[in-house]
Amino acid sequence: MLEKLEQIREEGFNRIAETSDMDKLEAIRKELIGKKSELQEVLKSLGSLDPDMRKSVGMKANEVKNLFAERIQARQQELIASASAVEGEIDLTLPGIEVSGGALHPITQMCYDLNDAFRSLGFEIYSEDDISSEKYAFDNLNFAADHPARASMDTYWIEGTEDKRGNERLCLRPHLTGGSVRYLLEHGAPARFVYPGRVYRNETTDARHERAFFQYEALIVDKDISFSSGRVMIEAILEKVFGRKVNVRMREGFFPFTEPGYEIDMECLICGGKGCKACNHAGWIEVMPGGVIHPNVLRSANLDPDVWTGFYTNIGLDRLVMMRYGVDDVRLFHSADLRFLKQFK
Amino acid sequence: MNISVNFLKKFIDLPADLTYDQIAYDLTMRTVEVEGVTNTADKFHDIVAGQIKEVKAHPNADALRICMVDTGEGELKQIVCGGSNLTEGHFVCVSKPGSEVVWHGEGEPVKIKESKLRGESSYGMICGATEVYLEDIFPPKDEREIVDFTELGIECTAGQNVAEVAGLADVIFEIDNKSLSNRPDLWGHYGMARELAAIYKLPLKELSDELPTGLPEYPVEIREPERCNRFTATKIDNVYVKESPSWMKSLITNAGMRPINALVDITNYVMLAVGVPQHAYDSTHVSGEQIVVRLADEGEKLLLLDEKDLELTHDHLVICDTEKPLNLAGIKGGKFDSVLDTTNSVILECAVFSAPGIRRTTAYFNEKTDAALRYEKGIDTQRAALGVSMALSLFKEIYPDCVIKAFADNYPVKTENAVIDITQDFLDRRLGEVIERSEIEDILTRLGYEVEFSDGVYHCKAPTWRSTGDVSIHDDILGDIARLIGYEYFKKRPLPVNFDSSVNQVNADLARRLREYLAFRCGMNEIFTYPWIDEKFIHAAKIDTDKSVRLATPPAPELGILRSSLVPGMLESIDKNHRYFDEFAMFEAAQVFEKGEYSPSSPDEVLPVHKNLLTGAFAGKDAKTLFYKAKGVIESMSGYCHFEPLSFKQVEKPSWADEKVWLNIMSGKEVVGALGLVSVSALADSGIKMISAAVFELDTKKLTAYPSRTNEFKHLPQYPLVDQDLSILVDESVKWKEIKDAIGMMVKELSFVEEYRGKQIPEGKKSIMLSYRIGNDDSTMTSKQIEKKMGAIVNVLKKKVGAELR
Repeated sequence: MLEKLEQIREEGFNRIAETSDMDKLEAIRKELIGKKSELQEVLKSLGSLDPDMRKSVGMKANEVKNLFAERIQARQQELIASASAVEGEIDLTLPGIEVSGGALHPITQMCYDLNDAFRSLGFEIYSEDDISSEKYAFDNLNFAADHPARASMDTYWIEGTEDKRGNERLCLRPHLTGGSVRYLLEHGAPARFVYPGRVYRNETTDARHERAFFQYEALIVDKDISFSSGRVMIEAILEKVFGRKVNVRMREGFFPFTEPGYEIDMECLICGGKGCKACNHAGWIEVMPGGVIHPNVLRSANLDPDVWTGFYTNIGLDRLVMMRYGVDDVRLFHSADLRFLKQFK
Repeated sequence: MNISVNFLKKFIDLPADLTYDQIAYDLTMRTVEVEGVTNTADKFHDIVAGQIKEVKAHPNADALRICMVDTGEGELKQIVCGGSNLTEGHFVCVSKPGSEVVWHGEGEPVKIKESKLRGESSYGMICGATEVYLEDIFPPKDEREIVDFTELGIECTAGQNVAEVAGLADVIFEIDNKSLSNRPDLWGHYGMARELAAIYKLPLKELSDELPTGLPEYPVEIREPERCNRFTATKIDNVYVKESPSWMKSLITNAGMRPINALVDITNYVMLAVGVPQHAYDSTHVSGEQIVVRLADEGEKLLLLDEKDLELTHDHLVICDTEKPLNLAGIKGGKFDSVLDTTNSVILECAVFSAPGIRRTTAYFNEKTDAALRYEKGIDTQRAALGVSMALSLFKEIYPDCVIKAFADNYPVKTENAVIDITQDFLDRRLGEVIERSEIEDILTRLGYEVEFSDGVYHCKAPTWRSTGDVSIHDDILGDIARLIGYEYFKKRPLPVNFDSSVNQVNADLARRLREYLAFRCGMNEIFTYPWIDEKFIHAAKIDTDKSVRLATPPAPELGILRSSLVPGMLESIDKNHRYFDEFAMFEAAQVFEKGEYSPSSPDEVLPVHKNLLTGAFAGKDAKTLFYKAKGVIESMSGYCHFEPLSFKQVEKPSWADEKVWLNIMSGKEVVGALGLVSVSALADSGIKMISAAVFELDTKKLTAYPSRTNEFKHLPQYPLVDQDLSILVDESVKWKEIKDAIGMMVKELSFVEEYRGKQIPEGKKSIMLSYRIGNDDSTMTSKQIEKKMGAIVNVLKKKVGAELR
């Protein structure tokens, strides 16, 4: 009898060790230590044995039963540790399931990036309406009465108003700057705000010129700020866009609504300022105009230029996005072409 | 504008250690943008003077000669040439291997290589003027003529670079004209030299402003002194048409103009030097020996030099004789007054016209001439004297026998110096640092200001050449001081901080949340379209254009209507994209316009009504699915974007919508937008085939943003809920809303799963699968309770909507 138990143990251990399937292991468990198992039969037959044998066979049988339980549990843990949720082969090189996401327009993305930067500097976000009047688009901004930008070759005038003057002559705004006076009239000074938006110019379009394009303008008005404070705004814009500090320089420029006015250059990121083809060997790239708000503009906003001063800067978003991604045709921004737009996540 | 260093050197001595790149940099930082620096000798590389030692016949070609030429390289070089004037001993123009020449004066430059011509080797090329950029300086008589320096009387040595031989070796600064628009004083080399003198503290050569005296008066009548501030006329006899001296031709060429003949070149040279345009009239064409400056009569005609026939209006200033207009004042010469080959007496005009009239007339006729470019910036009247004086000394130099017969200086309006006070305090505050008084006085004096200081105030008298509008307020003087010090030398200053409140803009935030919701949660792509939309799509969407705002000069005839809805643009975009995509979703947020009255800033300014619309479209195959996708976007919008909830109702069908499938979007009782399938006819009229589209359009100004997130917390259920699915059969006419109204209150949650019509479903019926969730608030539901509730639900459905269980 003891030999038989020894045999049962030997066979059982082999079967447990050979199994690599959880379900089969469960079946084996039933067969080895279940109610109908051989071992159980042995235990049931103990009564018919003589007392000496009964004791030693009983002990042996229970020992085998416990060993089986232990081995099965150990094997189970082994199998779980090495198990996979997937049966059979799987090709790990197949692509994942695509995320079904849309995207903001790359111009909007840039605009929101800049909004975040300016919000952190305490600027408000303002928007002027698309249609403005000559008074706000030109007169308030110190444009000479016969400034060429006022001509219909440059500005889109609204039918029926094109021969009128001042606040009766309406146009699709040719720049954002008119919005600065609207904001100041409404909120007064001190003020710091950005006013992004789309502007319109009567132009012939090509890969570098558009009739509708986006600008991002910022203005700070306060007492006694010097023009060199304006550089903080400029550096904020560029650092946000390019993700690192960018060297800038301000040089002489001229705009009707500033005095003095500046052209603002940034160090060429391709050559690091050494001079290359992209920057026309200058080491610098002109990125935006800026300047001290002209006293006549402050007067238009009912502010005393002896008390208040301010600093403008205006950046072309289309051009900035083109530089950020290497886009080579400005007309793509208004194309509504999803093959283009889906590239900007 | 091109500024020639050789030209500048007539007025200023530039230190030898000052590089051209440095000058370009300093001008760019302080004055005007230098877009490029070119060395004119560059294009003449390897083009040299060579002496012809021997001319032989070519064994295989009658038209060619073999020349042995000394090119300064030791041994003689053999060059094959077809020139008609090859003379032994003469110096000619030789292009050596590696040089670039324009073959026969046409096309792009080509590189010269050693080669064989009809079997004879040729080292390089003996060139004609057109082949080596010299035609303006040495005009050829015929196309086979080569440049013969000996014949031209020019001394040179073998191997000397041709740019040097021809006096063309120069460095050119290309200035961005736009950056010069507020600096009329810089539209001439003298002005630019004056600026450099100020920057580098260098002496500037003084120009004479002496006018002729003791001469008979040439009759000049100015009828419009506001338009013509000064008019000088000098009658000069004993002149004739000839070439200018080569020094003058090369300066004119390097400054970007073409030499014509000495009479015209003198006027152009003076303009390039001092910036005041001049005009030479053939005296015999001025009838009545009198000049009248007047406004044209309405409809009066004028034939320009280039044969352009102008019809003038009463706003156009013309220079006339006693009979007729001769030219368009300050802009362009006329056909009949200009210098001819037969001219032997000229009237030299050197006048100052005021800028606004020039700008208007230039724009009217689109004549952007060199003269107009300068006058429209505003020239000080004092400059006319510099121009006359310089021109007359050139006449005396080039035409030693000329005789000045008469002169007039009609001078009704004089440019007054701008007088401006600026305080030390203002400068200190705005510059952000204190600049010494001595430095300020030095800078301003260098720029031509006269400065007196008393009691903290600088009393400044600006020079006349800065007083035609450029310098008019103390901020201008501040700018002059700052730029001469150099903006790069000012320390960056932090922005002042004022912590009295945080920036809180709920509407700006909502506008952003809406776009981010559509892009990030709803899988839509943001697009931008133009505010002018092709009328085809406006008509396709059946949009009423009576209230549309229109452009006076649209980009194209069919683009004259400004949008009052974003749907036409959406249709155009669907049309563009559906050839590349089967299923796609887009949205656009933009302003639209409608006739009406709207005053955003001041009551005196009345604009058309502006709406801020947010429009989205789902395009694809299955119309119903598209509609429900769009509806789902609107249903979840207020929750995710945090504004007052939206609901649906049919109030008024949008013009572009399908007959059946449309809803208005409501906020409270107000219609704030619409949702629907695009009508079959709108799709067809837009040219969109094989695809359907669902569109929503919302007026976002009508949405009420919550000041903050407003989601409410609900306790999690304390006892388990029971989920049940139910399939029922109802009549086609039964709406989900009826089912929801019937049992919505009986359950914790009710949701629609699917709708089914098919073989097993009888005609006129549909199967609806729904799922609901039930439970008790205070205990776990017993199976009996569950059974009872389910029975009740089925009963209510039977009674209210006639449902049968499937």
